[in-house]
Amino acid sequence: MIATPPPQTIGNGRAADPIRPPALQRKRVDWLQFALPCGVGMLFLLAWDLSVRFSGSDLFPKPIDVARGIVELIQHGLLLKYIVASLFRVSWGFALATVLGVPFGLLLGWYTRASQAFNPLIQIFRPISPIAWIPVAILWFGVSDAAPIFLIFLASVFPITVSSMAAVRNMQPVYVRAAQNFGLTGWELFRQVIFRACLPQIITGLRIALGIAWLVVVAAEMIAVNSGLGYLIIDARNAGKRYDLVVAGMLMIGLIGLVLDFLVRKLENFDEVRWGYANRS
Amino acid sequence: MNPADDSAAVVLRNLWMAFPGKQTAVHVLEDVNARIVRGEFVCIVGPSGCGKSTLLNIIGGFLRATAGQVLVEGSLVAGPDPRRIFVFQENGVFPWLNVSENIGFGLRRTASAEKERIVRHYTEMVGLTGFESAYPAELSGGMRQRVEIARALAANPDIIYMDEPFGALDFITRLKMRADLVRIWERERKTVLFVTHDIEEAVQLADRVLIMSRRPATIQEVIEINLPRPRDLDSPGYLEKRDRIFASMGMSLGVG
Amino acid sequence: MRAVPFFSLRRTVGGFVILWLVAVTFLHAELNLHLFARAATRSQYRFRIGFLPVTCHLTCPVTDFINRQQSGTSMFDPVRFSGWPELKEAYLSGYTPATFILAPMAIALREQGVPIKIVYLGHRDGSALMVRKDSSIHRIEDLRGKTIAVPGRYANQRLIIYRELKARGMSLDDVNIVEMAPPDMPTALYSRAVDAITSGEPFMGQTELDGYGRCLYQAKDVWPGFISCVLAVSEDMIKNHRPQVQELVNGIAASGKWLDESMDHRMDAAQFVSTLYYNQNPRLLTYVLSKPPDRVKYSNLKPLRANFEEIEMLGKAAGMLKGTAHFEDYVDTSFAPDDDKVVAQKYEPKPR
Repeated sequence: MIATPPPQTIGNGRAADPIRPPALQRKRVDWLQFALPCGVGMLFLLAWDLSVRFSGSDLFPKPIDVARGIVELIQHGLLLKYIVASLFRVSWGFALATVLGVPFGLLLGWYTRASQAFNPLIQIFRPISPIAWIPVAILWFGVSDAAPIFLIFLASVFPITVSSMAAVRNMQPVYVRAAQNFGLTGWELFRQVIFRACLPQIITGLRIALGIAWLVVVAAEMIAVNSGLGYLIIDARNAGKRYDLVVAGMLMIGLIGLVLDFLVRKLENFDEVRWGYANRS
Repeated sequence: MNPADDSAAVVLRNLWMAFPGKQTAVHVLEDVNARIVRGEFVCIVGPSGCGKSTLLNIIGGFLRATAGQVLVEGSLVAGPDPRRIFVFQENGVFPWLNVSENIGFGLRRTASAEKERIVRHYTEMVGLTGFESAYPAELSGGMRQRVEIARALAANPDIIYMDEPFGALDFITRLKMRADLVRIWERERKTVLFVTHDIEEAVQLADRVLIMSRRPATIQEVIEINLPRPRDLDSPGYLEKRDRIFASMGMSLGVG
Repeated sequence: MRAVPFFSLRRTVGGFVILWLVAVTFLHAELNLHLFARAATRSQYRFRIGFLPVTCHLTCPVTDFINRQQSGTSMFDPVRFSGWPELKEAYLSGYTPATFILAPMAIALREQGVPIKIVYLGHRDGSALMVRKDSSIHRIEDLRGKTIAVPGRYANQRLIIYRELKARGMSLDDVNIVEMAPPDMPTALYSRAVDAITSGEPFMGQTELDGYGRCLYQAKDVWPGFISCVLAVSEDMIKNHRPQVQELVNGIAASGKWLDESMDHRMDAAQFVSTLYYNQNPRLLTYVLSKPPDRVKYSNLKPLRANFEEIEMLGKAAGMLKGTAHFEDYVDTSFAPDDDKVVAQKYEPKPR
């Protein structure tokens, strides 16, 4: 017979010994995680500079030209204005997309009939690029901030809806059962359990959609707004050979995109959602 | 069987269950009848795939039987109810709440001072003091099951259903958990319906064991375990009961 | 890493998001919309007028600038666009009830039923076709099989090509025409993406200035009095705000006369228009407004039937226009002063 504990053990309780996974011990500051990307960045700048020099092109700017362009923008007081304008439009467009897309997506995920009804329409609209909507945006909203906000809204709302739908579908049914067991129904069931169980995947969807929203800002600002980083890029063509400003605009967009993504990733560290993400080293 | 019999906590009457299949219906349960007395610890054993979990889900109100009735405390079961709490095999604990919040989940309507007291009481009882702010992702499988048991108990149900709750744990942890479960049950004396495929577990824990047959399943035999607790795993009484169950299920002890 | 317990997810997201939206909206309103800086004292009708940063539309910013210098305010709000499609759409949506626009485009819009009326011209000449200095194209016949960039489907420059090709027994099928926004043309020529470019100034002169462009022909040499862009307003504006339309045309006409009055005026305009309106390097406008001095002309800008009928005819032959709209349909000559009666703006450039 397999070895068993001494006869008296069934019925005696002892407190369980803690089994703490080592990964949760306090980490020392990992300087390598900052040094590595900086190193890669330096190499990239070097490669950029050398390739411009060797190609002999006098149109494409070198890194130092772009830096000068940025300084010039700061001197004219334009950099802050343009960044704020683009952030303003993306913030509102994305916020609207979240407020509408998350509840709608959750509803579609939960009620099969609703999904059957609306999903084909969503899949038709989803691949249409925001650029194609520009003429419509101008006709409906005129030339104002509302038009780029509309375009950014369009670009974000579909990924948000689709990922919220998937979140509900992929949720473990045992949570709903347990909650129903405790007597939760209707709105309380949704708020306390379904929403919280879906939250990690919803946040992932938001992160992706925010990246798309920020990517679309250049297209959205092709309409004759007169501020913003996208506008800077498009208008720099009119100014003759200002490709340094074009690349400066691109660079600013990229850097801000990095910051935005970083912030959303930080959201994933909260205890209420941390469980939903696979362990990354 | 009188529906007004008030020592019976759960009555199963002529339960039949069939699922729609590809060509013909799949009959899982066939005329299941049973009576479970209040305060009893009953184990349901049977070969794998025989429908034990299905039966428990029907009793718990998550599934509707094709025919027959389930009566709990005299009234028909129409759906899940907080007076009858289910403990799942895995992942029943909510990962977005910490240990205290999970244990207190069934106490939403209780005043906060009282709720705190109850939560603390059961946290201690399952041996998780010090882990109140920990999240389930940080706990071992055994600790998570303790949280779930504490959560079930804290809600003060009449009956607790357990569907192979220790099935996902390793051997040693299972032994510990059984010991703790018996210790806790002896203090609270709730009615427990415990499904398992592990015959030893059934004999170690239960007052009575319901043995289910192969699919389509029925209760083929009921064996009383009149052994004192804590159960001595080497005593002849224990071994005799265990062998009887093996025999009833048409199996012998020899391996290979 | 576990977040500090006080900042639960809900608190963080909710609070931060609201704070952020408020802050960014406030900043944006302050920095870009000047909502707080500008007092709203607009009892008088004020309209927007669309333009592109080309010499054909120069009279627009010039008028605006001189008005502001003289009376502190201007009767209109100039709005700069980056390309013809956006300019056209803004007009269609009513955002810019007045706009500078390509002449054939205005006729085409009229053919499609849009209530548009041409009231004045942008300028005369001021267009050219440029090739690379080192290319083998020296005559129009050499354009056979080559790629030429034009500003758009409804551009007069395309009609010139059609006309010149036809005169030499060729057709539009013998060349490859692509549409491109004028600001992109110099780079396209430089990088040999196209073989030739044609549009209005200053993009043609830019290629000369930067040393890689050679002029194949100037519009003034092949089509004297060539008109590219016109000033157009909506019929609605004519019906409801006649005085403002008249004031606009008078201002534009006076600015045109002012530009042609002396080279000093032109040089001054090159400076203030480049920096304040076009966002270009002033050397561009300085070059095209002076070398040669008759590259662009801002006089004789009253719409004449003969000019437009020629465009209509060529447009129809080239397949650009349907021929269903005629001079009376799309032109309103009641506002344009006779050319010899135009009085220049009274504005002297400040000494620098």
